[in-house]
Amino acid sequence: MRPELERLRLIEQQLLNGPAALPAEDWRLRQLLDGELAADAAAQQQLYHGLRRAGRRQLGQELRQIHARLYGSWWARLRRCWPL
Amino acid sequence: MTLLPPSPPPASALRDALLADREQALTRLYRRAFPLVRRYVGSHGGTAQDAQDIFHDAMVILYEQAVGGTLVLTSSAGTYLVGIARNLWHHEQRRRARLPEQSLSDAFEPLASEDSEAVTEPAIAVLDYVERLGKKCKDVLLSFYYFQQPLTQIAESNGYASVRSATVQKFKCLERLRSSVRAAWRSETLEL
Repeated sequence: MRPELERLRLIEQQLLNGPAALPAEDWRLRQLLDGELAADAAAQQQLYHGLRRAGRRQLGQELRQIHARLYGSWWARLRRCWPL
Repeated sequence: MTLLPPSPPPASALRDALLADREQALTRLYRRAFPLVRRYVGSHGGTAQDAQDIFHDAMVILYEQAVGGTLVLTSSAGTYLVGIARNLWHHEQRRRARLPEQSLSDAFEPLASEDSEAVTEPAIAVLDYVERLGKKCKDVLLSFYYFQQPLTQIAESNGYASVRSATVQKFKCLERLRSSVRAAWRSETLEL
């Protein structure tokens, strides 16, 4: 992988506690040697939070589709006869 | 006497089912649990839409716990789901008593499981950029980071020749997302 992608992977391992995550001491040392690492890690953490929200939104859409498939027609009929 | 192989614990069986075929597993849970939640919410002052919203929030919590490996089931998944929904509905009723003007969807935007995390503006802004990534990148990123599908499955369903190709693609997509978010933040900062 390109060095830029390797850097993303390094940060990801650390943030998501992956199998290749560095021991805390080594990570702190890396941050001392690489002035941009802490800021890059914080930015990547924001991406993960955003992706979690995007995932929830997609799961919500999938659930609405399941609801419409299971209850759409009879539920609509019921509501027409008996408005809630 | 023959010994039967131990059946898998229900939480891991649910996790496997959700990862193998999410739509099917969710539909099965939906069919089993939603009528009970609808009846409960309906008999405790809620509308049909309230029941649906509460149930969806409960399903999201269950999904995240199941695939995240934090779910402990002592009863069936359907019973557990109804329990979450009841708690959410009680919480929502108390909230409505305090803040009657706010809608349910606004109130539940940060779900209970996100309590420990600060939901920041940049994270919300990332949402828009995820939508602009294009279908393939969006699918790869959400499948891995949210739905927690294994890379072997992501490689197979997206037509990548190997796990390594899928891994590289995942990081390329993450890089694209980071670049677009960064560019937007930079331009916002310059405008200030």
